[in-house]
Amino acid sequence: MEQSVSDDRLPTRQGFDPTMAGKRAECDGGGPTAARYAVREDFAGRLTGEYIDHGDPPWRWYLMTDLDRKPDGYPWESVWCEAGNVFLIEK
Amino acid sequence: MAKNPLHTPLCDMLGIEFPIIAFTHCKDVVNAVVNAGGFAVLGEAMHTPDEIAADIKWIRSRVGDKPFGIDLVLPASVPPTGDLDELRKKIPESHWNFWLDMKKRHNIPDPRGQVALHQWGGLNQEIARKQLDVLLEERVPVICSGLGNPAFILKTAHERGIKVFGLVGKARQAKKEAEAGVDAIIAQGIDAAGHTGPVGTFSIVPECVAVAGDTPVIAAGGVTTGQHLAAALCLGAVGVWTGTLWLASRESDNDMIIKEKLIAATADDTVYSDCISGFPMRILKCTWTDEWAKDGAPKVLPAPYQMLLSSDYIQAANDHRRPDLMTEAAGQGVRFITAMKPARQIVFDMVAEALGVFEDLTGVAPE
Repeated sequence: MEQSVSDDRLPTRQGFDPTMAGKRAECDGGGPTAARYAVREDFAGRLTGEYIDHGDPPWRWYLMTDLDRKPDGYPWESVWCEAGNVFLIEK
Repeated sequence: MAKNPLHTPLCDMLGIEFPIIAFTHCKDVVNAVVNAGGFAVLGEAMHTPDEIAADIKWIRSRVGDKPFGIDLVLPASVPPTGDLDELRKKIPESHWNFWLDMKKRHNIPDPRGQVALHQWGGLNQEIARKQLDVLLEERVPVICSGLGNPAFILKTAHERGIKVFGLVGKARQAKKEAEAGVDAIIAQGIDAAGHTGPVGTFSIVPECVAVAGDTPVIAAGGVTTGQHLAAALCLGAVGVWTGTLWLASRESDNDMIIKEKLIAATADDTVYSDCISGFPMRILKCTWTDEWAKDGAPKVLPAPYQMLLSSDYIQAANDHRRPDLMTEAAGQGVRFITAMKPARQIVFDMVAEALGVFEDLTGVAPE
């Protein structure tokens, strides 16, 4: 199932990958802070199978919920994980 | 006469003389290091696409055909969206009171104008892709991903003759990126400035070398001397990625107060603390870190709340140039920064020191 979502900005494409749905995984995550430095954050949880592709070539991001590992005090219940930083715990 | 140990596959790949990479946010440092025979990478995570394009043109006008790199911090995870104002409202009153009390006791003025963090708005996939598009269009020689896996952009970059390097904090990241086809891995240890992975440089470099196959590995984290360079090569790296080393260089656009603090600093003048951003990072001690280290200070908030809490302080410190308030991220190698040298001299000193190490070890002068 795919659904295109485009506006004046970066085109995105939402989709669902049944081969990833329900799989437990780890994400070596993180991003930049306003202090100009990169922050590394570790997550572990369950992939829903939902993904979003940003731009062309597609930059795929998977949704992870049921987080049983996340940074101390992380205020959200889910995280979007870049595909290249996802490591499946169960195949 | 022994072969030149500093002529590594990295030199052949990039067409450079010395396997020393300077990571910097200052264009003048890039210019100086590249023209001294090293390689330099300009950090552009906080810049707009237009600013990045202008910086690339500036660099090219001064280095000609010599190669250089641009670093972007590609995100590897992104939380659900959160409005900055909504997040500020969630900061406990006790923490705001702690900050206000500190502000009064230390006579900390308000920032001049709007706080940069509040205008920045954070980085998401869209912003990162727009930054990347500039690098692809300008065909920069090397794109460096400061955090996220750059595998998705490899084919497009390689079609344009652009090399792609990836910074990693764990061996499994190195394996994945090497298998995807990155041109080099930068293995960054916890010794580095800023927020890094959990593994020490002395451990992560050989771990990454072991799993990266034919992909060259560059050592990062705490590298500030020729001894570090020599050690990195002995661990199997083909070069070094350096950051703190350039912060107090003559060309660096860091405030003179910060340069003087870095030169004077030893490891005791730095602290590994989460009180600035909610994530542990090594920084120069200042009023903020001292206050949060005291008994009775509230528990540090997680990111992004702690970052929002500290943003006024950081901006005020820099706007008013208060030495007691100002701070900078600094790696564990800061104690080896002892003078405000020209970047060119820093390169040559590191080369001479490294060659001296190899000569001492082998008893033979390298060519």
